[in-house]
Amino acid sequence: MKDQPVAGGTQAVASVQTVAPTGFKQRFGAFMRKFLRQKTAVAAAVIILLLFVIAIIGPLITPYNPSKPDYDALMEGPSVKHLMGTDEYGRDILSRLIYGSRLSLSVSLSAVMIAAVLGTALGLLAGYYGGWLDRLIMRGSDVLFSFPDLLLAIGIVAILGPGLINVVIAVAVFGTPSFARIIRSVTLSAKENLFVEAARSMGATNARIIWRHIFPETVPAIIVNISMRIGGAILAASSLSFLGMGASPSNPDWGAMLSMGRDYLSIAPHIVYFPGLVIFLTVLAFNIFGDGLRDALDPKMKS
Amino acid sequence: MTERLLDVQGLVTEFKRGSSHIRAVSDVSFHINRREVVGLVGESGCGKSVTSLSLMRLLKDTPGRISGGKVLFEGRDLVKLPEKEMRHIRGNEIAMIFQEPMTSLNPVLRIGKQLEEPLTVHLGLSRSQARERAIDLLRQVGIPRAEEVIHDYPHQLSGGMRQRVMIAIAIACKPKLLIADEPTTALDVTIQAQILELIRKLRADNDMSVLLITHDLGVVAEMCDRVIVMYAGRVVEEGTVQELFANPRHPYTKGLIQSVPKLRQKVRRLESIPGNVPDLSQMPQGCKFAPRCAYATERCHQEEPGLIAVEGSTGRKSRCWLANEQTWEERGAVTDGQAG
Amino acid sequence: MDKLVEVKGLKKSFLIQKGLGAKRYLQAVNDISFTIRRGETFSLVGESGCGKSTTGRLVNRLLTPDSGEIWFEGKDITKLSERAMRPLRKHMQMVFQDPYASLNPRMKVKDLVAEPLIIHTKLSARERDMMAAKLLEEVGLGSQHAERYVHEFSGGQRQRIGIARALSVKPKLIIADEPVSALDVSIQSQVINLLQDLQEEHGLAYLFISHDLSVVEHISDRIGVMYLGSLVETADKDTLYERPLHPYSQALLSAVPVPDPNVKRERIILSGDLPSPVNPPSGCRFHTRCPSCMEICKQRVPEFREVEPGHYVACHLYDEGAQAGGKS
Repeated sequence: MKDQPVAGGTQAVASVQTVAPTGFKQRFGAFMRKFLRQKTAVAAAVIILLLFVIAIIGPLITPYNPSKPDYDALMEGPSVKHLMGTDEYGRDILSRLIYGSRLSLSVSLSAVMIAAVLGTALGLLAGYYGGWLDRLIMRGSDVLFSFPDLLLAIGIVAILGPGLINVVIAVAVFGTPSFARIIRSVTLSAKENLFVEAARSMGATNARIIWRHIFPETVPAIIVNISMRIGGAILAASSLSFLGMGASPSNPDWGAMLSMGRDYLSIAPHIVYFPGLVIFLTVLAFNIFGDGLRDALDPKMKS
Repeated sequence: MTERLLDVQGLVTEFKRGSSHIRAVSDVSFHINRREVVGLVGESGCGKSVTSLSLMRLLKDTPGRISGGKVLFEGRDLVKLPEKEMRHIRGNEIAMIFQEPMTSLNPVLRIGKQLEEPLTVHLGLSRSQARERAIDLLRQVGIPRAEEVIHDYPHQLSGGMRQRVMIAIAIACKPKLLIADEPTTALDVTIQAQILELIRKLRADNDMSVLLITHDLGVVAEMCDRVIVMYAGRVVEEGTVQELFANPRHPYTKGLIQSVPKLRQKVRRLESIPGNVPDLSQMPQGCKFAPRCAYATERCHQEEPGLIAVEGSTGRKSRCWLANEQTWEERGAVTDGQAG
Repeated sequence: MDKLVEVKGLKKSFLIQKGLGAKRYLQAVNDISFTIRRGETFSLVGESGCGKSTTGRLVNRLLTPDSGEIWFEGKDITKLSERAMRPLRKHMQMVFQDPYASLNPRMKVKDLVAEPLIIHTKLSARERDMMAAKLLEEVGLGSQHAERYVHEFSGGQRQRIGIARALSVKPKLIIADEPVSALDVSIQSQVINLLQDLQEEHGLAYLFISHDLSVVEHISDRIGVMYLGSLVETADKDTLYERPLHPYSQALLSAVPVPDPNVKRERIILSGDLPSPVNPPSGCRFHTRCPSCMEICKQRVPEFREVEPGHYVACHLYDEGAQAGGKS
């Protein structure tokens, strides 16, 4: 008997409240309300925004040319002149980090975007058609999943040869299975919607059903996963550069900066500290932002 | 006059939506006599379920609250009763069954356990006595193999059987009033017939009153002595089942009865009520039914009628300015004999 | 008369348990046959789990039958591929019970209504919008709603949108699966009237699937009664409601509550519950609940026979030499 009040109560309420809003404006409004309630996620969003602004207007605000050596100021510690000090060639670390943000963000963003497109396509196909196609795609992604992420990327770069383009490819390849899996599971539940059966009964082709009726249902999951993967992609790209498999050391890449700096760790630790700190903060911000996004887009969370 | 078991006077229940309060039930008054079956009829959103939850004071887990009126049960006002005494009334003197028994039964407890709990708590029976009584109750509600069913979990039973179990729990403490909220809506017709038959039998055996909440006029006609029709959170008509069906005095009741297809009726076209039920937050001024009413006059759109007593019959009321007019089409012919 | 749909000996079961242990099948539809004529309303009526919705989805081949035949306009469509079915679905549109779930909430009303036009015609976007506006007017919604989303509408209005959509490509058959069951009484009659008006206007045939015997009587020309996957009786409306032959049809009809307190009827109350379709009873599937069950009913499946012109029933009571049948 104890459960009765709750059960009966919610029924009654449902008849009083209006139905969940589904128009784009209302849904976006509800999403913003839920997102803005999460203080840390909002802070993360601000950091990310700042990062993008810096990356875009970088050349306008850098105090020094990031590639120009200054042999009068080798490995200087932080000072008013060089806020983050200089590296072993006397290049301004702050300027290099600002230029590096363009590189790191564009490498990781393009890698994640490629992974998202590939993974979503594979996930939609596997989830919608099922059968042998599903098994093929899912076993393939299981194989990729069974490698430790970085090892896989190292393997790919080892085969393709070092270089930024190949880093993008490697990071994209190991990001694809995660999209495929998530989008497959969303597709499996989305295709149970009655409006999907209705579309079939009208005579809609599979392509139309997937594109018009199922893909829109997967968009929130795609957005969330993109934001969650960017952090990892920055880390992976940096790691590859650190290992000398990505950007050439002369490029102001965060990972490459770390790599170069480690030889001087004992005498000039600031060369490593600042790139390390920036990588850490960026990855953290993207992960928190992704979590916040997921919670705000989750229909089970109350507004 | 027969004794009143339940007397609801001017009940108002409001729900919070955003910063404003929405009246789901406004100024609802009706009574239930002892051993009487009263039907509370209306379409979804008319406030009939909220009314029943208000009677039981079961709104606590919802954004709703009773903001006015009295609910007199054997002379005591349930609205003002302390929660502890109210708990005693619930289940013990007033019991309730719902449309979907699965949501009201605990899925992880065996049927026997759920039946015995109120018996040990409310009636102070020992465990073996409670077990015996539980089996007896299941037999009373027509469950075959009762001594096996008490070991089953709710999901092992069919919908009809679950509703029987709910009824068994409800009548366990011999309540004086059974509130049945759409008890057969989720069931098939042949099972519905079984359950209605059961409720009728139990009412007679246990001297119970029944408040039957339903949208199904067929169920009302078969089960009820008296009918209360609700629309937009208000009582719009009240009367005995015979009078109400033969001679509805509110245009909404009339439209409702005419819009249901009936067996062997052989009409080419159904009458229907145009338009939709108004949203509770955007109620029209004046009579709430006026925008859909074929007989609405200027006055109806301006001024809301109260419950007007229908002349020539006792206890018949209609919330319509035309309740005692003979101007409706067909009306004169139907009512001449009775209303004079 | 001109047959639009002919269904012969249709069977469909669903696999419900895989993996360990024996595979178990749910027999949803078991050997049913019926025809739908052009412009008529043929109803399938029965209680939950009787297979009426599955039958509807077999007719337009959303599901593929295990055996049996489906003919549409003189063409055998039983074995057609999905690709070959698609153009045919233009002629056999569907209206669903749940107007909330069957309309994509992310699409505007005009796009929902025009979707079959996108699929089956080469009309331009402008022409489609005009058609959608016209259809919305026809179903009594008004074209001013074209730009809105479905969540802004009530159940009855949504069902009108669903009907407008089905109508857009001028089908010959509309399969309506419990189209008014989710609606309030006063709205239900509006939608029933609309369905009848449209039938008159466009010469549509309906396969009307419902559990509500009063609604079915009102709207149908002919009716099939289903029980546990089988068709137990088929007849035209007046015959069925005045002289139901099958004991199940009789019980079903007597169980309908009549909204008239002066009518007191002899009610046949069936004992027990619906048996599980996974493990259906032997012989006649209704024998476990049948008030006039005989020995033969437990053993032999009754044949679906025409006992008088157009009146089919599957019951041993009406076997040739019926009384002898019970003893043999």
